[in-house]
Amino acid sequence: MAIAVHPAARRVHADRSPPPAAPLPGHAGFVTRTIAFSIDAALIDLAALTVAAIAALFFSIMPVSHDVETVAVAAGGVALVLWAIAYFVVFWTTTGQTPGSRAMRIRVIRADGSALRPRHALARLVGMVLGLPLFVGYLPILVNDTRRGLHDAMAGTVVVESPPDPVEGTR
Amino acid sequence: MRWTGRCPSLASMDVRALALLPVQVAADVATRATLAGLDAVLASRVATAAVDRIIASALAGHVVDQLLAGDALERVLASAETASVPQRVIDSHLIDEAVDRLLQSEDLWLLVDEIARSPAVTEAIGTQSISFADQIADVVRDRSRTADARLEHLARRVLRRRPAAADPQPG
Repeated sequence: MAIAVHPAARRVHADRSPPPAAPLPGHAGFVTRTIAFSIDAALIDLAALTVAAIAALFFSIMPVSHDVETVAVAAGGVALVLWAIAYFVVFWTTTGQTPGSRAMRIRVIRADGSALRPRHALARLVGMVLGLPLFVGYLPILVNDTRRGLHDAMAGTVVVESPPDPVEGTR
Repeated sequence: MRWTGRCPSLASMDVRALALLPVQVAADVATRATLAGLDAVLASRVATAAVDRIIASALAGHVVDQLLAGDALERVLASAETASVPQRVIDSHLIDEAVDRLLQSEDLWLLVDEIARSPAVTEAIGTQSISFADQIADVVRDRSRTADARLEHLARRVLRRRPAAADPQPG
């Protein structure tokens, strides 16, 4: 038996249908991500070296005891680690792009497309350190369809291609 | 003058010169008078006004047009003498002296400074630098994408895994 459907009801039903799937952006590969990380590492090291040079100049002008010097070196090491953590966490949670990622036009996002929260960024950073021995955590990038490494799996993130901003593109 | 009868030709030449002397004097006087008259005419307002009128008339334009349209100009330009003029000018000290005087001129360097500081020049240099950096970054990005694809292809072959899914791979 055919049921007559009011045109308005048909329209409402049509509006509830799922939207057409947007094309997924491409995922960034191993080499691209390595180059981006190298740029970031260079920037982090450059800033750290600048601070270290200033500190060394300060200690050369004002001589201190050996114990104070040891403490200063230890504090410098801690500061370097904190600086590196802050660098990645801040960039990943705000724009999803570190300067290196921006140069390579890639972006870190959650698998559902949302932005990272600080806990995701910290988890990703821990995963990056854990995956360092023999690059075990990074090898899955080469054989994974979504190019996710151990750190991406831990944080629920993907690294995708990021087209240039319209303003940048018009340059 | 005493006639000896030994050289009749010399005697006849002297007679002819004596006969022509008044004619030459008259011709000389006439030439001087003509040139003096010409100078007077050229210095007069009438001559100036006449030249002005000729230049203002269509005749001057017609003459120039005829010179440009005809092959007279080509003949002049194609002549060996004309071709050697630039080389002779370059070989002379005129160019060196002119360049030396120009380089010693403070006004020239003020002009160069003004041009170098002008917004158009600085903007052009900046744009050129940015576009050069962009080109380098584009090349690095393209090559890194190609390296991504090749490295993954190699890793999948080594691990005997199926080829990657249709993930957009530029390059």
